[in-house]
Amino acid sequence: MKPREETIAVGPTRVQAWIGGEGDPLLVLHGAGGNRGWLRWMDAVAERHTIYAPTHPGFGRSDAADWMEGIDDLARFYLWFLDVMGLDRVHLLGHSIGGWTAAEMATMCPDVIDRLVLVAPTGLKPEVGEILDIFYYPPEELFKHTVFDASTIPERERLFGRPPTPEEAEIALRNREMAARLTWKPYMFNPRLPHFLPRVTAPALVLWGREDGIVPLICGEQYRRLLPNATLRVLERCGHLPLIEKPDEFAGLVLDFLRRA
Amino acid sequence: MKLYYFSEMPHHEYPDAEGDKYPSLRLAFPNTFFSPEIAQRNYRRYLDEYDAADQAGFDGLMINEHHSTPSCVNVSANMTAGILARTTRNAKLLILGNILPIQDNPVQIAEQVAMADLISGGRVLSGFVRGVGVESWWANSNPVHNRERFEECHDLIIKCWTTPGPFRWEGRHYHFRHVNPWCLPLQKPHPPIWVPGTASPETAVWAGRMGYTYVPFLVSFEVARELFDFYRQGAAEAGRTVTEDKLGFLICAVTADTKARALEAGRHFVWRMGPTLRGPIEYFSPVGMRSRAASQFALKARSVSLSKMTYEELVDNYYIVAGTPDEVADRFARVRRELGIGHLLLEAQESRMDHATTMRSIELMGKSVIPAMARL
Repeated sequence: MKPREETIAVGPTRVQAWIGGEGDPLLVLHGAGGNRGWLRWMDAVAERHTIYAPTHPGFGRSDAADWMEGIDDLARFYLWFLDVMGLDRVHLLGHSIGGWTAAEMATMCPDVIDRLVLVAPTGLKPEVGEILDIFYYPPEELFKHTVFDASTIPERERLFGRPPTPEEAEIALRNREMAARLTWKPYMFNPRLPHFLPRVTAPALVLWGREDGIVPLICGEQYRRLLPNATLRVLERCGHLPLIEKPDEFAGLVLDFLRRA
Repeated sequence: MKLYYFSEMPHHEYPDAEGDKYPSLRLAFPNTFFSPEIAQRNYRRYLDEYDAADQAGFDGLMINEHHSTPSCVNVSANMTAGILARTTRNAKLLILGNILPIQDNPVQIAEQVAMADLISGGRVLSGFVRGVGVESWWANSNPVHNRERFEECHDLIIKCWTTPGPFRWEGRHYHFRHVNPWCLPLQKPHPPIWVPGTASPETAVWAGRMGYTYVPFLVSFEVARELFDFYRQGAAEAGRTVTEDKLGFLICAVTADTKARALEAGRHFVWRMGPTLRGPIEYFSPVGMRSRAASQFALKARSVSLSKMTYEELVDNYYIVAGTPDEVADRFARVRRELGIGHLLLEAQESRMDHATTMRSIELMGKSVIPAMARL
């Protein structure tokens, strides 16, 4: 099943999105690194689900949204996105700041979320340690903190195998600027979120790489504790990008969790 | 041409090898190397040198502010302006400047500058700057908003000075329900506004449009001329005529009784060209702080990094002027001919340049260089 690329207008803001697969809808929200396109793990999950993978406003080739101030704005935007797409109820999967966005959405409108998958989400202040300041480090150094062992990434050639084109470099810069706009202060967390997480009704799977060098694993424990119905699964020898570092194991866990719906 | 004395108030009394261990002297170099005992002596010394510069006849004293760095421990330009307002008599007090985007309360900045203007008898020149990225980190101010906050903070300060209170301000970044500062500047409608520049064409255009005095810092003549062209473009848009009084330039300069001594003293400026600017681009220009145009211009403007230049190259290219009084006067005159400026700002002390050398330079400038420049 070949995914298709669409441009979707949410109010005046048009976002680019990958859509593919068949079955119950699954909305996928990417992290601060941007939308990496149709990934290997999606092929497996798309066997059973229709995946909607939009590029956030301000990222990639989606329209700018300089008026946004924080992740709660992005959460409200995606609830609107669901209206536009005519999706009454979806599974929701988010990675990093996309996971934070997903958690915010689930606190705002619990009824529209069937099952919730949070992959190394930011959004909570770690009880111990700190979320790495991704804007403070040069990209090469940041990458070392991001993945556990780049040599084992199956898609490394396609994703990181060559220097970026000028257009890709511009998109990478745009992604960082929008991420900064949304997460600068308080850095990568919402102090009010823990007070709302108990409202979430969807069963939740919280996935974390044991060696995550960006968001401390303790945040996973916090999410598990605060969400009324959550399981925490930790992937070994894996950093902050389980979706591409362990795509097959990741897809298996996601499929298994969603199958129980 | 008017001459201005400027000291960055460095705190270079630590072993250089220690500083080299960190990614940058800014943000990362631990303040365990800051010595309150030494700083206490240094502040007194630097303020004495400012007083001497006033007495020597400098037209102005330039004051700046940086944070989290040994290169400049003047952490409050307004506080220093307040001190010099009381201890000096004649020189203009050029605050260059208040770092607007990182301010949370523009009304307080309006009050502080007004108070310095009052105490000094109307001698304040009020500079507004966007700051280097380090200052955004220091204040944890989102660099994505830097330019918007700069302009909005500016607008509110000017309104404080020109519109009777109380009034309300509901902007994008600043929100005040009752603005009514009971401290207004002596100069009317307000102190002259100055704006520095190193790379941003937008700032030059904006300064030109507003009719403010514009001062490129430590760039080549060629780049300064390009920035002045942007400034003129902005001025033309607003129908303003650009006079030399609206254009300035900043270089490092020291004089001494002999050329050899001056050249020896001038070497202290090399520290501020390299080691104090070393560090990841993320520190100095965090994401979103610069527009694409400014980034491109910065690449061109710094096609050869200052840190890569030898001392001799820095001297040959007028980043540093060091010589006998006659020699520096000649070189200042050349700067004026090249750029058509009305103000020359001299970074006149740096690194470990000692008090005696600094004071002799101030004295010699006062005796012959300042009078010579006044005749230009």
